[in-house]
Amino acid sequence: MSDGIPLPQPDELTRREKEDAMGAYFMMFAAWALGLPLPLLNLLAAGIYYGLNRRQSRFTAFHSLQSLLSQVPVTIVHAGLVFWLVRNLVIQAPFTRAFWLYLGFSGILNLVYLLLSIVALTRAYRGNFFYFPVFGTIAFDRWYGPDAPPDTERGQRPNLPPGR
Amino acid sequence: MDLIIKRQESNSRGQLLLRAFFGWLYIVIPHFVVMVFVGIWYSILEFVKFWVALFTGRIPEGIYEFQKKVMQWQVRLSASLLNMRDGYPAIGPGGSDPDATIEFANPESVKRGLVLVRALFGWLYVGIPHGFLLSFVGIAAEVVAFIAWWAVLFTGSYPEGMFDFLVRYMRWNLRLNLYLSYYTDDYPPFSGREQVSA
Repeated sequence: MSDGIPLPQPDELTRREKEDAMGAYFMMFAAWALGLPLPLLNLLAAGIYYGLNRRQSRFTAFHSLQSLLSQVPVTIVHAGLVFWLVRNLVIQAPFTRAFWLYLGFSGILNLVYLLLSIVALTRAYRGNFFYFPVFGTIAFDRWYGPDAPPDTERGQRPNLPPGR
Repeated sequence: MDLIIKRQESNSRGQLLLRAFFGWLYIVIPHFVVMVFVGIWYSILEFVKFWVALFTGRIPEGIYEFQKKVMQWQVRLSASLLNMRDGYPAIGPGGSDPDATIEFANPESVKRGLVLVRALFGWLYVGIPHGFLLSFVGIAAEVVAFIAWWAVLFTGSYPEGMFDFLVRYMRWNLRLNLYLSYYTDDYPPFSGREQVSA
């Protein structure tokens, strides 16, 4: 088992890699950009961004994956809030204390996520790594860990005979 | 900005008729379907570009390349729909046509204050005056395109004056688009004439 991929230092990365890595964190605003209150759009945009950039650069792939993974819990909380809100409006149910607590929790989560993302995108633009709790480790292991795919596998998919 | 649309020596009458009667089916619909999805992504990147340009004074290379490809696609699609070029326009931002394309550079830096001004008041000091004039030029362009269709049908070639008029109309629109997209800080001229750089 290898020790993983050596980490690039900021001056070894191209401006393009840093910009692309930074762009990944902006996907949290995709729903805003489209003017649609659908939390799933952010996750979808982050997924597309990761898909488009994962083969470009390992540094960009790491930040894109971290952005994508960290969107998951935020999206679930958002979706729950939207569902609860719409349900209450449709069946004209009262907004209970639990709802307001959930709304507050969602707001705090958003704020924390926004702050983390701003720090991450600033660091990415400077060519630095920034690790989110949990998701940072997963993304790092995927692209820089001992089991990270070698550079040859990141490029074009090779043709193989059937069954391989 | 360089808008390149090469005028063909002769145009195919068969393709002209095919586009006129079935263009909506084999050109417009497939391009439109792809463009809806590409347009969504374009809008997201446009939003990202605004914030990045505002804070860093630069447009990310990745966004520039994507948007340039989309604009090149729009140019070759417009050239085809206006019967200026024969052949099927390559679909999507991945395609290319060196005879109907647009080239522009990604500026090293953009004026951040101007980025904000354009985002907030672009509609006022760019959209209204240019939009007002372009609406009349646009009507004229439609009339010219209609007359040119008949000219191509009978003569087999696109009248040069009409071709140039449509190219100028497209260039005016594209310059406006580039200014509002922060790719240039120079206010667009009220004309589609080619500008000779000093």
